[in-house]
Amino acid sequence: MSLVELTDVVKRYGTHTVLNGVSLNVERGEIIAIIGRSGSGKSTLLRCVNGLEPIQGGTVTFDGTIVNDPGTDLRKLRQHVGIVFQSFNLFPHLSVEKNITLAPKVVKHVPPAEARQLAEAVLRKVGLAEKIDAYPDQLSGGQQQRVAIARSLAMQPVVMLFDEITSALDPELVGEVLKVLEEMARDGMTMMLVTHEIGFARKVANRVVFMHEGRIWEEGPAAATLARPRTPELETFLSAVLH
Amino acid sequence: MIRELSFIDVLYLIAATRWTLALTAIAFLGGGLVGLAIALLRVSAWAPLRWLGAVYVLVVQGTPLLAWLFVFFFGLSIFGFTVSPWIAAAASYSIYAGAFLGEIWRGCLQAIPRTQWEAGASLGLGLTQQLRYIIVPQALRLAIPPTVGFLVQLIKNTSLAAVIGFIELTREGQLTTATTFRPFTVYLIVAAIYFALCFPLTQVSRRLERRLHVAR
Repeated sequence: MSLVELTDVVKRYGTHTVLNGVSLNVERGEIIAIIGRSGSGKSTLLRCVNGLEPIQGGTVTFDGTIVNDPGTDLRKLRQHVGIVFQSFNLFPHLSVEKNITLAPKVVKHVPPAEARQLAEAVLRKVGLAEKIDAYPDQLSGGQQQRVAIARSLAMQPVVMLFDEITSALDPELVGEVLKVLEEMARDGMTMMLVTHEIGFARKVANRVVFMHEGRIWEEGPAAATLARPRTPELETFLSAVLH
Repeated sequence: MIRELSFIDVLYLIAATRWTLALTAIAFLGGGLVGLAIALLRVSAWAPLRWLGAVYVLVVQGTPLLAWLFVFFFGLSIFGFTVSPWIAAAASYSIYAGAFLGEIWRGCLQAIPRTQWEAGASLGLGLTQQLRYIIVPQALRLAIPPTVGFLVQLIKNTSLAAVIGFIELTREGQLTTATTFRPFTVYLIVAAIYFALCFPLTQVSRRLERRLHVAR
């Protein structure tokens, strides 16, 4: 059994079909890059994994639990599935420490002193130990996104979802965020990342999934798939992105 | 019997101001509780609850406060209930302030981006926890200036309670006028006292607004 299994997933907004029968398995420790044009359904696919998007057909399972079962406790599930968003979504009224420790304290009942240590530990991982008492608006975009990653890591998730996490950043800040991802990859974290950074996908991902018109159009080992696309759609997409 | 307007009358007016303040406090507390409930109904995930909140606001904002005062004070006595001015005023003002505060606070809750709820949900927080730790603290900052602004309206509107015999600042002014026959001076003093209560609040509200805007 794979860690994440999507089977024939269908997602509609009204009459518009965003995901049209998507099946994908993700093994433990695997790193999957999901690429495609905007509107191809790649972000939606990611958001189905932690139940942020209700689906109209098919099944999504995480570690054997059916995510789209109404009886599933999504709060419990989400403790194991971290997600980082394009727009960071830090809590602006809370310091970096409080941003990170809120969920461990409230959801997992970690005592305050221990929570502070936890915050220090995850901030070291993203290279921002000295920013523990800062507020989000005092940080650059790249720093905010690293704090968002640290906040997710503090829940000790089994899989991490990254939804275009460098798309809102100035070009010179992208590198520092990708570096954190590379380190997490080395630590063996299971990751699904929606990205436009093709070079990064080639370097870090095990597998590449190309989404087109709500379907998985093409998938395979990262390097081979990106070097030798089998479909004209992927070829067109790659040549458009790589310029 | 007509007598001269004297300093003691001014003191009486100032003394009556405490009932204006007490009524404001009751209205604000009662209205705050009702308003909180209405605001939460209005952002509820369940549509019938949202409608319930919307209908309440529609009805109360579409009817004069004076009508509510009459309903509670005179209306209920027809059915054999004797309602004291205090109870009638407390009920009417809570209903009235609840609708307005509810709308103000709903706006503040909805001003917080959906992505903040999502970020909380993604970390495993339940709905109440998202509200309590993420949404309400941010909405509260937005809510302070308009809430203080409404408080000023409330202070002035407590004068309506004079019509059901509630002796507050305006009613005391009427009584003083009746004995001294100096309406111009008396009501000027009354107005000055209202101004002395409201002006500092307006200033505070403005300052808060400016500061919170800069902070954003």
